[in-house]
Amino acid sequence: MSLGVAACGSDDDSGGSSTSDSASGGTINIYSSLPLQGASRPQTTAMVNGIKLALQQANNKAGDFTIKYTSLDDSTAQAGNWTPEATSQNARKVAQDDKAGVYIGEFNSGASAVSIPILNEAGVPQISPANTAVGLTTDEPGADKGEPDKYYPTGKRTYTRIVPIDTIQGAALATTMKQDGCTKVAMTNDKEVYGAGLSRNVQLAAQQQDVAILFNEGIDPKAPNYRSLASKAKGEGADCFIYAGITANNAVQLYKDFAAAIPGLKMYGGDGVAESGFVDPKEGGLPTSVSKNVKVTVATLSPDDYPPQGQEFFSDFEDTYGDKNPDPYAIYGYEAMNLALDAIQRAGSADKEKILEALFATKDRESVLGTYSIDENGDTTLTDYGLYTVNDGELEFDKTIKAETGG
Amino acid sequence: MSTALQQRRTQVAIFIVVLAGIIVLPLFFNPASGFVDDCTLALAYITMALGLNIIVGFAGLLDLGYVAFYAIGAYTMGWLASGFYADADIHIGVTGFAENLPGIHLNFFLVLIAAMVFTTIAGIIIGLPTLRLRGDYIAIVTLAFGEIIGRVAINGDEIKFSEGFPLTNGRQGITPVDKIDLPFVDQFTSLNLRPWYWVALGLVLVVLFVNFRLRDSRLGRAWIALREDEVAAISMGIPAVKTKLFAYGTGAAFGGISGAFLASYLNTVNADQFQFSFSIFVLAMVILGGLGSIWGVVLGSVALTFINYRLIPDVLNDVPNKVGLDFDLTELSFGIFGFLLVVMMVLRPEGLIPERRRQMELEEGIGAGDTELELVEP
Amino acid sequence: MEAASLPATRPKPLRVLQDWLSKYGLIVVLLAMPVYYGIQDLSDDGNLTRLGGNIVDGLSNGAIWALVAIGYTLVYGIIELINFAHGEVFMIGSFTAAGFFGTVGLTAGMGVPGLALGLLLTLVVCMVVSGMLNVMIERVAYRPLRNAPVLAPLITAVGFSFILQNVGILWRGGSQEGIPDLINSQHELFTIFGLDITNGDVLSIGTTVPLVILMVTFINQSRLGKAMRATAQDPEAARLMGINVDTTISLTFLIGGMLAGAAGLIYALYQTTIWYAQGFTAGLIAFTAAVMGGIGNIKGAVLGGVIIGIIQQISDNRIGTEWTPAIVFAYLVLIMVFKPSGLLGEETREAG
Repeated sequence: MSLGVAACGSDDDSGGSSTSDSASGGTINIYSSLPLQGASRPQTTAMVNGIKLALQQANNKAGDFTIKYTSLDDSTAQAGNWTPEATSQNARKVAQDDKAGVYIGEFNSGASAVSIPILNEAGVPQISPANTAVGLTTDEPGADKGEPDKYYPTGKRTYTRIVPIDTIQGAALATTMKQDGCTKVAMTNDKEVYGAGLSRNVQLAAQQQDVAILFNEGIDPKAPNYRSLASKAKGEGADCFIYAGITANNAVQLYKDFAAAIPGLKMYGGDGVAESGFVDPKEGGLPTSVSKNVKVTVATLSPDDYPPQGQEFFSDFEDTYGDKNPDPYAIYGYEAMNLALDAIQRAGSADKEKILEALFATKDRESVLGTYSIDENGDTTLTDYGLYTVNDGELEFDKTIKAETGG
Repeated sequence: MSTALQQRRTQVAIFIVVLAGIIVLPLFFNPASGFVDDCTLALAYITMALGLNIIVGFAGLLDLGYVAFYAIGAYTMGWLASGFYADADIHIGVTGFAENLPGIHLNFFLVLIAAMVFTTIAGIIIGLPTLRLRGDYIAIVTLAFGEIIGRVAINGDEIKFSEGFPLTNGRQGITPVDKIDLPFVDQFTSLNLRPWYWVALGLVLVVLFVNFRLRDSRLGRAWIALREDEVAAISMGIPAVKTKLFAYGTGAAFGGISGAFLASYLNTVNADQFQFSFSIFVLAMVILGGLGSIWGVVLGSVALTFINYRLIPDVLNDVPNKVGLDFDLTELSFGIFGFLLVVMMVLRPEGLIPERRRQMELEEGIGAGDTELELVEP
Repeated sequence: MEAASLPATRPKPLRVLQDWLSKYGLIVVLLAMPVYYGIQDLSDDGNLTRLGGNIVDGLSNGAIWALVAIGYTLVYGIIELINFAHGEVFMIGSFTAAGFFGTVGLTAGMGVPGLALGLLLTLVVCMVVSGMLNVMIERVAYRPLRNAPVLAPLITAVGFSFILQNVGILWRGGSQEGIPDLINSQHELFTIFGLDITNGDVLSIGTTVPLVILMVTFINQSRLGKAMRATAQDPEAARLMGINVDTTISLTFLIGGMLAGAAGLIYALYQTTIWYAQGFTAGLIAFTAAVMGGIGNIKGAVLGGVIIGIIQQISDNRIGTEWTPAIVFAYLVLIMVFKPSGLLGEETREAG
């Protein structure tokens, strides 16, 4: 009971800060909601590190406001994965907080589908650092009927994301494979929202560009190995292999088994595997003999093209966490927080509605991911993908791909 | 005689007072607070655990695949009350946001009945191959069915009845699901949890009533007889097949009710929810509470729900922060959950509130089944 | 006993069908998949190489499951407990192996004699660590519950499995980790009938077979083995005959754990990828294997493991990896329908 009283009490004192705009010393809460337990933990902790670094660089300030950051967990101990229970609990917690400014999350598109409607009703601005499922924001091909409107009960958009939707990356991968002369591609995906969606988009783009896809098979991430699947691809004469999914779904084993079955196989992957845990044998990634044939696309630029704050990110990340090659997820987390801080600063107010307006008005923002705007659907306008090769356990920028989306 | 009557009256009086307290409880909290949320979840899990208690506790059939019924109940809600089948256009008894969305939208209570029917049938189908089996062989067959249904949920997006009508939406999930729609009451929202809490409480009361009546009925005694000694029970004329299938059917129906409620409450039906660990979670509620003991199971469900959703994420994970340590306890929460299970079980092996019958067996050794006291210490 | 729960009278044709099914149904079920795909291969390629390849992969994977399944079956046979933490003991075995390679500095390039010696040493270390761990679990989580209701230890087992998984996360992180391929696992050693036999296949089968033979001999011949069998049959009578039941149970856990440790090492060398949740999957599969073969029966566990290994590989190759777990469990249900006590069952108290 005391809990309820305390919660009611805190409602009152926040009312004042939103009326007086220039009040220095007002506090705004930023939350992140990510699965911190189970198989996604390495990626999400990297993300939280990126978020914390961004806040630290800004001295916990956005304009005149002091920012307080809280990391929430949308997974539970019992499930070891995100759960709808924990996700909606997080969303409601933030929805109730009058000082809440921005909600960073979720990591899984399926989880965002749960939190978006709740945050939408409460009008809390949301930034996802990782969702690529098409239907969350638009009704372009790849979305289901009724999407995206069914996620927004108020009819007003509250959700934005800083990663491009699957359509773009799918086209980028298909273009790369075509340029490399692939004729028969064996494709696998991890059946998660990201992986299945990306594989569908690769398939569509490959069709348009006349690259034959032999099969697109969902894998069981808990399988001990994929030798028989690889020998099936060998039997069908595959010369290229692509996996749409994340490292945590047994990607290392998958690539190893395919590389062993078909010598000289060209292998590709999306940003789900663009991390040291996948390419660095010292961190449990692929052996260098396999990874030298792997190419990966990521929505990040060549390090030379980064604007100054991007360069700063890399040096600071190394200082703080001792890792000079941060995971893309750390970069996404970093940018999500920076975008939130930027929006609050531009809004100059603790009012959620004003922050939301500022967020959707983001234009030509120079960031660690490149220069982008947020469109009226909440999507980023970034379309360039960087192609990375692997050299001695490290991702190396090769070139920027302009994807042939074919209309 | 009169003292027994008096005792019964006091019991009823206590029950009414406690119930009144439970009914008004959410009024003391913010309508969207985490506490009301946890309580609502706990109530939904009580419904589920009471269902499993009929199968495992009363009839003694160890079921490791109870998640199957949760899945079927939830998918019934997903099929019949969401925009999932967007090519269909059926609206019965719904108002508000759902009325204007494409898809099949039936009123929550119609779906509840459908969920009961589907899960009862599923319970009987799963029960059939286990009839000839004994002991832990039943466990593995039910586990197998649970896993198969979990797999079908994940891969169901490939199984299509016809174009635009897949079986499930895989890991993408069916979101959003219609909210409960009651006549004369405002639309349920995700920011006011009190109505959800009361509906869940209503379901628990119905299920509790059925549980008590069943336990004291002829059927309930037949279950216990089968559990204690199958051969003797059969030779006394108890129809084993019918009795066991009744247990599966009723137990499954409760899981289905709870599954349909949770689908609406959580606003999603996602294949990732239906994992083996969920079966174990519900089974832990039953065993920790006290196998076969109705109040024990209620307590066990509440305890585990609060440990999983409140104690570990909200209370324990804040401790290092509060004492000024930069230590991330989320890294340990999986182990803490396991540790608490071990400690509680070692301290109270017979459960938090043991079934009266079992307690007698354990303390006085009367009527002990041949499985229970085999490994007596010297 | 089984017939007791069925009505005594049945129409005659039904009974004939039932007799036929219980005699041959199981064989039909088991052979359905290989025969179907064998015919398909013959008509498509004119040979059985593809099916043969599946079976070879299945045998070597199945051998690992078999080692884990023996641990399940032994423990079940003696205290009738599904030891849910057993899969995690196997996982710790793999982790110990990977850690030990690192500390000792075993690398793929150090020549056969040095490597063989190093691996033998690793095998001993893994077996000791996993064995002791299993004994410790029994002492802490199962022994205090010896007189508790039968299902109580099931929950402590689950609790311990969570604790050990968390240990795995703290030890080597939450995602799959590739480890050095010491034996060049997928390197083709020789070809027989057009089938490629890899180093990994030889290692897996070559280690499992002697270990299983050793184990069966130990249980059949030695005094301790006899004590184990006696305790499994009737603990009370065994105690009266002067057998120390507690020691015997500890010994059973030790042996089960040691085999899981050995399986952990083979798994690490064969797959070259380890992760904290591998034990959960392996445990589920091994438990299924143990039941399929008839729980409590060592030969049954081995048979079950190999059958599951083959089903998995055929399904991966033909049907799709995303359906493989469902196929395995569907097989299990069918086997239980046709032979309720498992393939070689009827040796435990429960099934008898």
